[in-house]
Amino acid sequence: MDFHAALGIGLPIGIGIAAIGSGIGLGGIGNGAMQAIGRQPEATAKIQLNMIIIAALAEALTIYAFVTMFLLQGKIG
Amino acid sequence: MGLEFLARVRRTTLWTGAIAALTVATYGAPLHALAILLGVVWSLVNLRLIELLVVALTGPQRGGLRVLQRSAVAVGGMIALFAAGALLLSRLSPVWLLAGFSLPFAVLVLKAASSLVLESAIWKRLVASRWRAAGVVVVLVAGAWWAATAWSGSEATRGAGSARRATPLLASAESPAAPEPRAGETARHGEEEQGPQKFPNVITVLSRAFPDAPWARFLHEFEVVIFSILIAIILCVVAFVASRRPQMIPGPLQNGVEMVVEGLHDFVVGILGPRHGPRYVPFLGSLFIYILAMNLFGLIPFMDSPTSSLNVTVSLALVVFVFSQFIGFKELGFVGYFDHMMGTPRSLIGWILVPLMLPIHVMGELAKPISLSCRLFGNIFGEDMLLVAFATLGVSTLSFAHLPFGLPLQLPFMFLALLTSTLQALVFTVLSTIYILLMLPHDEHVHEGEAQHAH
Repeated sequence: MDFHAALGIGLPIGIGIAAIGSGIGLGGIGNGAMQAIGRQPEATAKIQLNMIIIAALAEALTIYAFVTMFLLQGKIG
Repeated sequence: MGLEFLARVRRTTLWTGAIAALTVATYGAPLHALAILLGVVWSLVNLRLIELLVVALTGPQRGGLRVLQRSAVAVGGMIALFAAGALLLSRLSPVWLLAGFSLPFAVLVLKAASSLVLESAIWKRLVASRWRAAGVVVVLVAGAWWAATAWSGSEATRGAGSARRATPLLASAESPAAPEPRAGETARHGEEEQGPQKFPNVITVLSRAFPDAPWARFLHEFEVVIFSILIAIILCVVAFVASRRPQMIPGPLQNGVEMVVEGLHDFVVGILGPRHGPRYVPFLGSLFIYILAMNLFGLIPFMDSPTSSLNVTVSLALVVFVFSQFIGFKELGFVGYFDHMMGTPRSLIGWILVPLMLPIHVMGELAKPISLSCRLFGNIFGEDMLLVAFATLGVSTLSFAHLPFGLPLQLPFMFLALLTSTLQALVFTVLSTIYILLMLPHDEHVHEGEAQHAH
């Protein structure tokens, strides 16, 4: 298998795996934040702020995979 | 005009020297940059020693023991300095070293000349009226522009003569014109097919229409910069118009701008605390507004969002990085900064862990701008690509009918783009705020705990 084919198969699968990971992470973050808001509705603003920050950190991993895909996309040929 | 003037010259020289060294390191050889930097440092130390000597010899209490000591230190330092200079001259390229060495003198002369010009009656009359001052600025910029183009033109002809320094830009300008415009256009098209295609914007349309005009090529090369400057100008004009005549009962524009500013102020102060917060509101608030405007600009037809280029996001992230390090140095002090980087060791175990904590902290600091820039770029670029993909799909579904338009399949995703644009601007600002917060002295323990959790 030449490397064009390897990249062509590997890049989408890699993004998918990264998306699965950060999807699980985002689910956990949302779960925790919603429970916290349900228990303490008066702290909604603070919880939402921290939720957005952590969600950005979790989501960044997929973005890295995405950027890597765009960097290598030109080599598929 | 005195010692204080010399101190100002030193400061300016340090800045210009650093910038010149960075420029040379980027566009030339790093060794030359080092030579420039060392030359500047050499010259500055030399000037400082001379100043010490002169002050010691002509000061009010001459003849004392301290004065003798000081002048001895100055003379000894100068001897050591000349030895170091001889060593440097033998090791590094003398031309660049000399350029760095003469930089303080150039700054000195220019500063003196500009202070003469600024105090003259003609200049005062020129800048008395706002419009006349603007005219002067325009004339100065146009003159500098003309001089730069004339200089680079002569450089290009010389380059063609010696055929030695043919940079890609000049080479493409020198290459014989394409036999017919059609061939040039296809070549350009093929060149652009390399990367993923974006929506056409004003500038790409212009450069397609005039493939051989130098101004169109210039526009195309500086597309991102032009769009970001355009956005900055628009924001400036809006802010200026809204705050020009503040009224007790605000009009709609003033009301909106006040709402935005107040919201950003509350937001930043809520994170940084009332003691440190208000100082950083202008920086972080304008960061948010600017990034939001740049993100949303891509949704306007025939416009492009500059943040979908890695150059813009990296420069934004570098600004935040440098600013937060600067705040760290300013607020914590030199020792405090390194104490912070070593994980504030207070016990034996803390000191044992220093070799582990220091690299981790340094890596963490360096990873911040990378993650900031890649996140913003990836999101905005991905959003643009998504829109392009669905617009292409919409066109290709109707391709059998040979219509000049397609199904607007990208419309639902434009709402998604609105959401991600806002969210990413918010995330960038929040993370910058947190980075600044981590650099501030930790006297508010509640906020420190929050920041630690955020990481």
